[in-house]
Amino acid sequence: MNRRKRMLDDLDQDIRDHIEQETRDNIGRGMPPDEARFAALRKFGNIRRVKEDTRDIWIVVWFERLMQDLRYGIRMLAKAPAFTAVAILTLALGIGANTAIFSVVYAVLLKPLPFTDPGQLVTAFQANSHEGIAETGCSFPNYEEWRAQNHVFSELAGVLAHQLTLTGSGEPTVVNTSVVTPELFALLDVRPLAGRILFSEDGNQGAPPVALVSEDLWRGRFGADPKIVGSSISLDKRPFTVVGIIPAAFRTPFFNTRQEVWIPLRRDPLFSTFMPRRATHMLPVIGRLKPGVSIAQAQAEMDAISERLAGEFPAENSGWTVRLVPLQKEIVGDVRTALLVLLGAVGLVLLIACANISNLLLNRAASRTKEIAVRTALGAGRVRIVRQLLSETAVLGLLGGAAGVALAYWGVQALSSLLPADLPLMNPIRVDKLVLFFALGLSAVASLVFGLVPALFSANSDLNVTLREGGGRSGESRNRRRARKFLAAAEVSLAMILLVTSGLLLRSFSKLVSVNPGFEPRHIVKADISLPRFQYSTPQQWNAFAAELLSRIQAQPGMKDSAVAVPIPIAQGNVNIAFDIVGNPPPAPGTSRTTDYASISPEYFRVMGIPLLAGRSFNQQDISSAQPVTLISRTMAQRYFSDQDPIGKHLDFGLPLNPNTSREIIGIVGDVRDSALAENPGPMVYAPFAQEPFWGANMVVKSTLSASAVAAAIRQQVQKIDKDLPVTDVAKLPDLIDASLSQQRFRAFLLGLFGAMALLLATTGIFGVISYSVSCRTNEIGIRVALGASRGAILRMVLRETLVLAVAGLAVGLPCALAASHLVGYMLFGVSPNDPATLALVAFTLAAVSALAGFVPARRAMLVDPMVALRHE
Amino acid sequence: MSTKDQERRIELLQGTLDLLILRTLLLGPAHGHAIAKTIEFQSDDVLQVEQGSLYPALHRLIKRGWISAEEGTSENNRRAKFYRLTAKGRRQLAVETSKWDKLAGAIARILRPAGQEGQP
Repeated sequence: MNRRKRMLDDLDQDIRDHIEQETRDNIGRGMPPDEARFAALRKFGNIRRVKEDTRDIWIVVWFERLMQDLRYGIRMLAKAPAFTAVAILTLALGIGANTAIFSVVYAVLLKPLPFTDPGQLVTAFQANSHEGIAETGCSFPNYEEWRAQNHVFSELAGVLAHQLTLTGSGEPTVVNTSVVTPELFALLDVRPLAGRILFSEDGNQGAPPVALVSEDLWRGRFGADPKIVGSSISLDKRPFTVVGIIPAAFRTPFFNTRQEVWIPLRRDPLFSTFMPRRATHMLPVIGRLKPGVSIAQAQAEMDAISERLAGEFPAENSGWTVRLVPLQKEIVGDVRTALLVLLGAVGLVLLIACANISNLLLNRAASRTKEIAVRTALGAGRVRIVRQLLSETAVLGLLGGAAGVALAYWGVQALSSLLPADLPLMNPIRVDKLVLFFALGLSAVASLVFGLVPALFSANSDLNVTLREGGGRSGESRNRRRARKFLAAAEVSLAMILLVTSGLLLRSFSKLVSVNPGFEPRHIVKADISLPRFQYSTPQQWNAFAAELLSRIQAQPGMKDSAVAVPIPIAQGNVNIAFDIVGNPPPAPGTSRTTDYASISPEYFRVMGIPLLAGRSFNQQDISSAQPVTLISRTMAQRYFSDQDPIGKHLDFGLPLNPNTSREIIGIVGDVRDSALAENPGPMVYAPFAQEPFWGANMVVKSTLSASAVAAAIRQQVQKIDKDLPVTDVAKLPDLIDASLSQQRFRAFLLGLFGAMALLLATTGIFGVISYSVSCRTNEIGIRVALGASRGAILRMVLRETLVLAVAGLAVGLPCALAASHLVGYMLFGVSPNDPATLALVAFTLAAVSALAGFVPARRAMLVDPMVALRHE
Repeated sequence: MSTKDQERRIELLQGTLDLLILRTLLLGPAHGHAIAKTIEFQSDDVLQVEQGSLYPALHRLIKRGWISAEEGTSENNRRAKFYRLTAKGRRQLAVETSKWDKLAGAIARILRPAGQEGQP
């Protein structure tokens, strides 16, 4: 811009000088001064047009030269189709992979949430540093106080989710139901497809029960019946009037699964019972900041409100604070790091690809030294030559980028089927405008990266030397050879970083797959039966239902090994509750004793293959009227009863409805990884289902029958008891364990893929460099052979050159790889980031593959015929 | 005169003007006004162009690298911009001149009555 201004000023000056000179000439010819100036101006013509024309010339010439360069670039590329194909393919792979990964990163991390003014949305969680609770919901009474007292949020809403049974019009089924305070819909600015959204009045005491249904449910279950709005549906055996349909694109914050029904919290069979309790931290809250209010201001206000509440209700609220987090950050969670690691890894692949192309270009430039020298001799400036070579690489970059985008379209399809189910996807993943811009920018940057080094070298070559050498290849400059080797070694280093991280992830994945979960999942099928809480409202009913169902199922042929369990490990995660040891002092303030919990029927341990280590197991006498009993896990026994026999001691624990029941420990069982395979088992307690029943009976059946036969038998027996009960989530336990590893599998697979790409690229890079080096030295090798060097010596010489490259690359790569592996350390399972076996294997693989890549050209060198070689020039 | 004709004339003049500037500078560096004067003088005032149209042409030649501009002092000791032929421009002049000669020859053959070919 400055240069342009200077040129304009210069032009002004020039024109002024010109007219002045002409005026003086005219005066010299005897004209009066006024007339002389007039004549000069007339003769000069329209000054403004002259200036405009001149400016146009600059643009025209610049454009002409650009087109000339591009035409030249295309012509040059067309002359070397093999080089062009390899370079474009390499680049397309790099850019395609990057674009595909970026489309995921963009959809998950960068793209604003699909709500109106998403920047204003925050989550409000409660935290209690004394009890070590970082994040939990708030109680409904507190939510009401927050809503009434704050001046920073335009609205606050709470949202929960669970499953309810939908009956009537077809098979009974379970629907994912969001249980919300009605303000949620106005807060998120949701427009219904038909009918209306929920309003605050729907949450009032005594308001008629209403529900919203999703577009998918409306189309699937109700056949897109337009009369659905205003009609009644039955949820857990209670009638709800449908008042609106929510568009399919709407995602309820926090919940990955598609929600199908939304009802007011006030009307939920389960959560409404907790509404009056100020100590029940159940409700995750979303808020919309008022325009212009910062999150810090809001935090200050919420701090003040928490303090007031702690003063007013010390029993429930002292020690509790509020933590505000932007909604997007909360939703993305720790997926962020994993995605950024993937993006970094795929970026490294592109860097290796660039180094490869750079090397190819260096080779090409070397064989074009003469052409460039002639151009220089004919007066082309250094800048012009660099420009020309860069425009050649720009053409290459654009072609590679275009091919890469095509690959990315395909890659995104493939990725979508691979994505872990629990990825918090609020936006669909696709190659949209911004992703395309990214690809374009990436191609431009990549062409600069791989084009600049060779271009600078070419423009720098010494004219005299080159021309005198007659364009032979032996006259390669030392610097260029060094650059080439540097690039190859850098490729090895980069590949090492990728291979070490992918190796560690693959190793930890294989360990994860083979880890002993503490139970034997083979041949086990699970199925969930959830009881409508309005109909089955007492523990006695739950117990009676489960007992009858279990005895009916066990009577089926081949299904003797059946049990009831809530929750089923891995499949349903873990339930963590507080407990006390009767007779022990309470835990120090700031710490709390928690344990995982399951309520099971006596057959459970046999069906699941969990060993009884001491004492006795549950039996049919452990019923609700008998002494409450419990079994503890080995970790529980070791951690809390290290110096004594736990059997006969008492523990206090229970679910929130029945929290402090003293139970006698009657035995010790093996540890189970119940929350995730990657997590070490913690303390665990079991209670007999008969003493701690639940409003659902989750079955585990060990049977050699097919899963569908087991499911059919369970369905049949359930419907014999109650024809309106759905059987849901039938699955084989091994499949569920497999599915629980989807994030790890996704990461390991992608990093493994990138590692393989890196290895391939680095190998071709080394092959290219050594082949070229051998072909440059054909002459020298010929002389050596002629002077008596043995073929073996030649082979060794070339192989040594290769290995020096590889070892240099490995030496630099090692510390970088270690740094990278510590970055992914938190993803590892059972493998240390410094795992020597992985490091050694990767180093060995890279060295071996490099040697192999060097061997082919080395063999060619070995077979050089001295006579041919000496005539080579 | 239609616009198209006008364009064609300007195009013709442009090439010619470029050539004339290069020719002028072959004699040595000169500033804008001096170039205009020389062209006027050399072409016997046949090519009556506005002096201003010299400047776009000068800039085109600079951009193509055929001439260069530098600060200097004019005859009457005033600061002025001098234009100088570059090596590339010198070669270009040779190319353009032979092109021009060919064109001029072709025109001459067409314009001369038949049978008089070869006569002076």
